[in-house]
Amino acid sequence: MFKVSSSLTRTFLTLTTAALVLTACGGNDNGGGNAAPSGSQGGSSAAAGGKKTEFLFWTPFSGADGAFMKDIVEKYNASQDSYKINFVIQPNGEYYKQLDVALSAGKDSPDLAIMHVDQIPTYASKGQLQPLDDIAGQSGIVKADYVEAPVQYSTIEDKWYGIPLDIHPLVMYYNKDLFEAAGISGPPTNRAEFEDAVNKLTDKGKGQYGYVVPTLWPQQFIFPTLVWQNGGELWNGTDVAYNSPEAVEMIAWLRGLIDQGISPANVQQDGENTLFLQGKNAIQFNGPWMKSQFDEAGLNYGIAPVPQIGKAKQAVYAGSHSFVIPKNTTDAGVLAGIGDFLKYVAGNSLAWAESGQALASKPMLDSAEFKALPQSSVADSFSYVQFAPNVLNWGTIIEPVWGEINNALLGKKDPQKALDEAVAKSRQAMGK
Amino acid sequence: MNTGWQSRLTSSLFVLPYLISFAAFLLFPIGYGFYISLHEFELLSDSHPFVGFAHYAEIFSPGTYLNSLFVRGLWATVQFVLYSVPLLIAIGLALALLVNALPRKIRSWFRTVYFIPYAVSASVMAVIWLMMYDTNAGLINSMLGKLGIDPIPWLTSEPWVWVALVSTTLWWTIGFNMIIFINALNQVPEDYYEAASIDGAGSWRKFASVTLPSIRPVMLFVMITSTIASFNIYAQPFLLTRGGPGDTSKVLLMNVLDQAFIRKEIGAASAMAILMAVMIMIVSVVQYRLTYGRKEE
Repeated sequence: MFKVSSSLTRTFLTLTTAALVLTACGGNDNGGGNAAPSGSQGGSSAAAGGKKTEFLFWTPFSGADGAFMKDIVEKYNASQDSYKINFVIQPNGEYYKQLDVALSAGKDSPDLAIMHVDQIPTYASKGQLQPLDDIAGQSGIVKADYVEAPVQYSTIEDKWYGIPLDIHPLVMYYNKDLFEAAGISGPPTNRAEFEDAVNKLTDKGKGQYGYVVPTLWPQQFIFPTLVWQNGGELWNGTDVAYNSPEAVEMIAWLRGLIDQGISPANVQQDGENTLFLQGKNAIQFNGPWMKSQFDEAGLNYGIAPVPQIGKAKQAVYAGSHSFVIPKNTTDAGVLAGIGDFLKYVAGNSLAWAESGQALASKPMLDSAEFKALPQSSVADSFSYVQFAPNVLNWGTIIEPVWGEINNALLGKKDPQKALDEAVAKSRQAMGK
Repeated sequence: MNTGWQSRLTSSLFVLPYLISFAAFLLFPIGYGFYISLHEFELLSDSHPFVGFAHYAEIFSPGTYLNSLFVRGLWATVQFVLYSVPLLIAIGLALALLVNALPRKIRSWFRTVYFIPYAVSASVMAVIWLMMYDTNAGLINSMLGKLGIDPIPWLTSEPWVWVALVSTTLWWTIGFNMIIFINALNQVPEDYYEAASIDGAGSWRKFASVTLPSIRPVMLFVMITSTIASFNIYAQPFLLTRGGPGDTSKVLLMNVLDQAFIRKEIGAASAMAILMAVMIMIVSVVQYRLTYGRKEE
């Protein structure tokens, strides 16, 4: 008898252990998300008498920027007694993967989330987001308080799906010391000034270059900017259009900088940034998120809008972080809390600007505090920013372009041939 | 009295934890992956219609998007496997022989030194090697410059991109193969070598006729694990070349992940992944057969 019961005990123990192992692992799977609930630090929330309405807020700010958003959320949590936000940072590279899984599982999914503006049409078309018009109306959030471009982009069939937090266009960083040494007074604003400046800034003897042409990232921002500036399009409404003469001319222009020796050849991933950090590259076009890296390196640099290189108009490619509400968020109390928080952010997002970003809220942009920040000039370009074409699966459709631009800038293919081949591959990706 | 069924039950119970983990983390995901590959499976859609082997058919139809993703990615992966596996084995064995020939006192120190990179994470590996390879600001090219050699475009030109990716992989993972080989070498009985010496064998002859045949099972193990690891290459090209120049080094796993998480078509991506797994299995079986076939001669 004893033997039997002891083996039963063993069975039980084994199963329990196995179950523990399994739950532990399962916990880890979604646990990454729950790693940083900011509310747990504000001990006062437990002490406060009334019951707070809690809601879950997801962000992809796993870089240095996370601390700035956390600061905003903590201040909001402390500022009032009705709501408590559980703040979650998902790893940047995994964000949409995690979000897709959470939304499809419907469990532990966020009540409020950050989404890049060019993702909104996809998620809205899959019915994963709810329109924000009612919540905005109830909390006194008006479209006119935000920069038009992201509001327009996230308004689909007269319904508003995303309240913008920031806009991050391609910007120009320039090394002030090198500019001074070359006798250039200010950042270039057009092609003639740019070409003149980079010629003066190039000094081969010292291994110093005017503008080092990246052959990979961030071409994803540079190429669209140049094509639009030159009067071309990436998407003509029905088909990809990046083998147009306007686009080819811009790639040929970049390749020309390499041929003239203004940029070295064979620049590898991040090569232009390495040289910029070493003070051997005078100008680079990159995103606002690079700012903190240059601050840490102690560079004497300036930020200015990307000059108009193309011959048609001023334009710049941008991304934008927006607040979205998934369709599963239905609790009226939670929705009211989200509205309250978004209204708060619109007036209290300066902390986010300190991360290097330029804000999308007009009252913030007009504030003296924002105008004092070095990146305030970034906002000058907000009247002409453009986002990725609103086309389903755009990311995989345009993907072949990056490899072909790489080929063209490395001198392995003629620009026209490279872009023609990119278009052929993109059409294949569209199933044409 | 310990009856048969009780002892069998007890021993079964000891296997149970492994069995449950194996089922939960390997068997079930594989089965589920195959199930998904038979469906039009979009994460954000509520309906996942059954499409049978349509994804597989598309992968095998020339001219389709999936076919070009798969074939182009596979070609890059296969090139990497062909260049890396022989070196992973040869240099792993060479390092093991070298370390084993060292005086006992410094042996374990070198063993550790060669093994350390294996413990380094992918992102750290990438940061180190981007600095080494940089065309215009990298360590290797600046040393070559001192010797009067023009900078080599390590990550932006063929064949250098393969040299760079294979070298990085060797640096990163060779420690594992080396440790396995060291253990194998230590298990070759000393008297074999003594007998060979008496027969007048030189050191090369001893290596070819005693060492190599004795470590054949381990050789097979290293060959198969290295092949699988090389097929699964992802981090090195993803972080160092982004698939460039052009899409030369855009390996199969990069394309599978694009399909799964940018295009969000998990079904087609799973079909690609399952085919990749089948290919790895076939190659492993062939390697196994070849090794054992030789033994029967």
